[in-house]
Amino acid sequence: MKKSYYLFNPGRMSRKDNTLKFTPVDEEGNEGVPKYIPVESVNNLFCFGSMDANSSLFNFLGKQQILVHFFDYYEHYTGSFFPKDYLLSGKVLIAQAEHYLQPEKRMSLATRFVEAAAFNMLKNLRYYDNRGKETGIQIEKIESYLNQIPFAETVDSLMGIEGNIRMSYYEAFDIIINEFEMGNRTMQPPSNEVNALISFVNMLCYTLCLDMIYHTQLNPTISFLHEPGERRFSLALDIAEVFKPVLVDRLIFSLLNKRQLSDADFDKNLQYCLLKESGKKTVIEAWEAKLNETIKHRSLKRSVSYKHLVKLECYKLVKHIMGVEEYKPFKAWW
Amino acid sequence: MSFIISTHINYYFICRRKLWLFTHGIHMEHESDLVYEGRMIGEVSYTDRSKKYTEIEIMGSKIDYYDPNRKIVHEVKKSDQMEIAHEWQVKYYIWLLKQSGIEDVEGILEYPKMKIKKKVILTEEDENTLKQIVKDIELIINQKSCPPCIHKKYCHSCSYFDFCYIIE
Amino acid sequence: MYIILVYDVDEKRVSKMLKLCRRYLNWIQNSVFEGEITEVKLKELVHHASRIMDTECDSLIIFRTRQEKWLEKMVIGKEKNEISNMI
Repeated sequence: MKKSYYLFNPGRMSRKDNTLKFTPVDEEGNEGVPKYIPVESVNNLFCFGSMDANSSLFNFLGKQQILVHFFDYYEHYTGSFFPKDYLLSGKVLIAQAEHYLQPEKRMSLATRFVEAAAFNMLKNLRYYDNRGKETGIQIEKIESYLNQIPFAETVDSLMGIEGNIRMSYYEAFDIIINEFEMGNRTMQPPSNEVNALISFVNMLCYTLCLDMIYHTQLNPTISFLHEPGERRFSLALDIAEVFKPVLVDRLIFSLLNKRQLSDADFDKNLQYCLLKESGKKTVIEAWEAKLNETIKHRSLKRSVSYKHLVKLECYKLVKHIMGVEEYKPFKAWW
Repeated sequence: MSFIISTHINYYFICRRKLWLFTHGIHMEHESDLVYEGRMIGEVSYTDRSKKYTEIEIMGSKIDYYDPNRKIVHEVKKSDQMEIAHEWQVKYYIWLLKQSGIEDVEGILEYPKMKIKKKVILTEEDENTLKQIVKDIELIINQKSCPPCIHKKYCHSCSYFDFCYIIE
Repeated sequence: MYIILVYDVDEKRVSKMLKLCRRYLNWIQNSVFEGEITEVKLKELVHHASRIMDTECDSLIIFRTRQEKWLEKMVIGKEKNEISNMI
């Protein structure tokens, strides 16, 4: 099983003897002891610190089909090195574009994403409602928004409903989370700990979806719910909708309620709140553990990891757009 | 126009759905350790004998090991579970060579792991059968809809298993 | 699967062996590597290694376990290379 590597420290990554070599470099330019990263074990790289690299490295990473995701100081996602597609299929691409261009086909897919996301959100809320956290009001609200979905005629109005669902859902966060307060959802920059966490883990989820899309024939820029964006691989946003409640939000609840994160893990001032390196490392560790957790899959009748669920979602989308089988989005069934 | 390649012949015998998907650019072989191992076995078993053999490509089909002096096509496979598909694949190579003017070629199908070697020849009858197979393949891959799942025991070891069996 | 790999090869071949292993596994100390690897990748590694080795006098030993968690590791003295995917 290939792994993600997260680079926090500044240094130079290079190709050496057909594998990867990382040489730490401190502020004064002094080189530390190099570390070799076995290239055969690398799935992707996350660059949080500053990394020096040359084109020979990127040519090599491209050949090995390794994606690199970049983040700025404020841990905003700034972009990815996305090697040349190695699984091109003209037929899939045309079918995917057709499902975007034909309003009915697009709506049909977009609706499924929203419904599945809402289903998975409700699952979370009900779980906590059964454990003494009173989220009944939010559950009712979301259910009533869900009833509006069949009447939405455009993707825009569907997006509106989706926004309302998400707002009600986030209202429940302050009921579910014990120590920290979230208030309104704020991004860029996040205003408090919960918002900082949501942004960070959402970003991890987005990159996960992007990685999985890369290893299929799907084109990451043609999306259905989100408008195909100029800035983002928007199909990853579509797929992330389905998985965020299951992967991201549950992780956040457990990290905070089990006190795996504390005030000391955040860098907070009047304008913004961000995760410190210690906090990021705790989150990433928990995230990786979550992705490797397995569940027995109902249709495959074998255990699959959460990570693999995302890949399976891509397969289902390919099947849908190729007319093999209608897309049934992932809904947490347990 | 795209060629009917040996992979098509192989998949025709194994699964028509796989044949259709493959032709539509839905490849899964990269996902499979079995496929990777199969390729490795080919490379490993032939590294020492590689000088005799050359890799040639005719009409889109790649023959990994061809011995031009003895006119022998070698095909290395991991297990003989799908022997019939392997046999026809080799026959197809011989047929392709024949069409390019290289006659009297013989094939050797090898399963190094099981230490089995099998001679393969192309008869006139085989040629007619191949003509029919190619026609069939063209029909299948030009079908608008994807052929259904075949639900065979060997689906479990197919690289398309997850793709075919994932429903919700 | 999770493995520990140790080799003892003639000086002339040490550098080749080191370079090969670095592609697949994490170096932990002289001639010792460990890491997660798939069955096929291990086969590939062993194949490449056996082409480097002189099997008359060199040796390669692999300890394998299903999962890392079933391996208890103790380090006494200086840990030369801590394995982590956060660098």
